This record gives sequence, C-alpha cells and structure tokens, in this order.
Amino acid sequence: MMKTISRVLSPLLIACLVLGSLPVAAAPAPASGLISTQEALAQDRVSADRERIQEVLSRQDVQDQLVAQGVDPAEVEARVAALSDAEVRQMADQLEQLPAGASVVGVLFAVFVILLVTDILGLTNAFPFTR
Amino acid sequence: MLGLSLLAGCASAPRLASPEAMGIPPRVQLEGIPFHAQRDYQCGPASLAMLLNADGVEATVDELIPQVFLPHREGSVQPEMLATLRRHGRVPFVLEGRFEALLEELAAGHPVLVMQNLSLPAWPLWHYAVAIGYDLDAEAMIVHSGTQAARREDFRRFDATWARSERWAVVALPPGELPASLGVEPALQAIADFEQARGTLAALPAWEAVTRRWPQHAMGWFALGNARHGGGDPNGAAEAFRRATEADPSLAVAWLNLGLTLVALEAPAQARDALERASALPGPWQVHAEDALERL
Repeated sequence: MMKTISRVLSPLLIACLVLGSLPVAAAPAPASGLISTQEALAQDRVSADRERIQEVLSRQDVQDQLVAQGVDPAEVEARVAALSDAEVRQMADQLEQLPAGASVVGVLFAVFVILLVTDILGLTNAFPFTR
Repeated sequence: MLGLSLLAGCASAPRLASPEAMGIPPRVQLEGIPFHAQRDYQCGPASLAMLLNADGVEATVDELIPQVFLPHREGSVQPEMLATLRRHGRVPFVLEGRFEALLEELAAGHPVLVMQNLSLPAWPLWHYAVAIGYDLDAEAMIVHSGTQAARREDFRRFDATWARSERWAVVALPPGELPASLGVEPALQAIADFEQARGTLAALPAWEAVTRRWPQHAMGWFALGNARHGGGDPNGAAEAFRRATEADPSLAVAWLNLGLTLVALEAPAQARDALERASALPGPWQVHAEDALERL
C-alpha cells in the first residue's frame, strides 16, 4: 500500500520540486536568485540538489510513518514541516530505533531486581521509591 | 556481584572546575518555571509545556500531545521535540553534551530540557525532564521531572542517567537570544533550521543577535543579508553581505549575493565588481557568478 503510494507520488513530487513550488521542501529562497543561507551551509551545490529531491521523498515517507504510528493525519503535515532537513533524514532512516521519551516501567522480575540494585547504587533512577 | 561493582566503578560524579573558573554562581534555582506533572507516558509534552510556559508561550499539555506524541511508541522522539519548539516560535539549540554547558545555561537563566535513560541500556526507560537549577556544594541538580517538581538528583545519578542519551540537552530561546555555552557553528545551523520552518522574518532578530555576538564570523553576516533581503530591505542586505565579504574575503557566496543584490539595486559597476570577485573564487558558486556577469 505504502509502496504503491510512493511509486505514484515520487515522480509527482520530483516534478513539483523541479517547478520549485513545493512549500514543504523549499528552503526560504530569497527572490532574485540569491543563494539561501540553508544552501550555503549545505555548501556542495550538486549534492545539495540531490539531497533536496531525497528530502521531499523523505518528508512524505516520514508523514506516512507518523500516520502508521497512530498520529492524527490532520497533524502530520505541520509536524513534518517543522523538522529540519537533517531531522527528516534521521526520522526517515531510523524512527524505529530513535529513543522515545516515555518513562514507564514494564520489565521482568529479574530485571526489576537488577534495576533495584542499580538504583540503590545510584546508577539508574527507575524507581522513585529507592530514594 | 563483581559485575555490579564494575558497573559502579564506571559511574562517578562529574569532575568539575571550580565555580570561579567556570564563572558561575555556586547555587542556582530558576524561578517562574511552571511544573506540569506527566500523565501516562507523556513526559515529552509535559516538559515542552514547562519550557514554553516559562518563556511566556501559552501552550497546554493537551495542545502539545497531538503535536509531539507518537501513540504507538507511547513516547516522543527527539527530532519532534525540537520541531514542536519551532512551531511555537522558539529556536531550539541542542547543547554540547558537557556537564559544564548545562550549568552555564542554568546560570544564564535558561531552563534546560534533558533526555535521560533512567534504566540500563539493555532495558531503556527514556525520559524527558527540565533542569531548573543546581547546587554545587550539595552536588545536586534540581529538575522538574515526572510527577515531582524541583526534585533534587545528585550529580552522580543525574549524570549516569543523562550520559545514556549522549547527554542530550536543549535550550529553547526566542529569536534574538543566544545560548550562553554554544559555539557559532552549531548556533548558525540551529537558527537556519528555525528559519526554514518559520520563515525569514521570524529568524531576522536571531541573525542580528549572531552578528552582534560574533561580528567576525562571515556566515552570520551572510545569513543576516539573506534575512534582510527576504524582509524587503535590499539596502540593508547589501550592507550585511558587504560585512560578510570584509570578515572573510574568500566567502564566494557572499560576493555572489552582494553582486545579485546590487544588480537589483541598479548599481551595475559595484555589482560587476562583486560578481567578478565571486567568479574568481573556485567552488560551487563560480558558475552562478559567471551567469550573472553575462546577464549584466
């Protein structure tokens, strides 16, 4: 399903990018052909272009992933728009591996005992009652 | 038991320079940082609400949950924590992962969002909290964390749990304010990322602050030039690009944008000068400069 969607969307997105009309991916390019700060910081011109195409695809990919994670589809566009290019790449490549701050204990008894000891040693802070 | 004692041997309280050497007071506790107790897994939205409210941004935990929480992960990931701060008009600066940097920011009055793994790497228990102060004599951090306001965590335990996130720490500042501890390069990137999400006008005060703090840094002037240009001030932009070329005459992209701005300002002789400087510098912008010269 996702694959089919991206197969259809990818050429469209590339076309949009070429036309320079996709607001999500467009760095704030000043009028009259000035080089934007984001482009200048990215430095290498050729790879910057390639990255921008990758960027658009990744942003779409991250939106799909967020929906799959149970995020309200009405929210995903605004969420992804606020990510930097590097953050989009990070989310697209490794959302599953990124630590998600949550703080809830759901561990086996053996682990519970180990954590209890490490808590008392001051190495962890899993159980607030140890202090 | 041997394993455990080895583990214990790895963690020691961070060794710090004296407060005088670091230039910070021995004790800091920031006032006016509201506390929001986390519900369920929502330490992410709760921490963001504390940071934003402390800075006068009205944002409730309930409003933030759909903006940053991942229901199936039952948590929030770091990139989205930063993105959400941008959505609320604040520039998130990820600090260098040093204990001293954390203390310097607190001493400068900035509450610091931190990520901790409260458990061991094998069974992670990722957690966001907001550091609001420290006490060097008692070796204690003061954090709004979980369901406890102004909890004191001894340096050793705090650092052990914080180190597991590679000491991830963030200050969120209004455009125009800069972190106390951060160098110019990461600050520039953080503001450029903010500008990409929020637009040139929103970032303008931040670039002005960069050129005040680091007047010798050419990229700061370059970025200010672009922001002024985007805000409809081509004369101010040309001035900033000019300052960029003075700070670093080998910054081809500054000569290029200076030339292009001068073309639009109908100063062809000066424009040609600048574009010729740009086209004489090898690199990715050379072609652009040659094109512009041909069009003159």
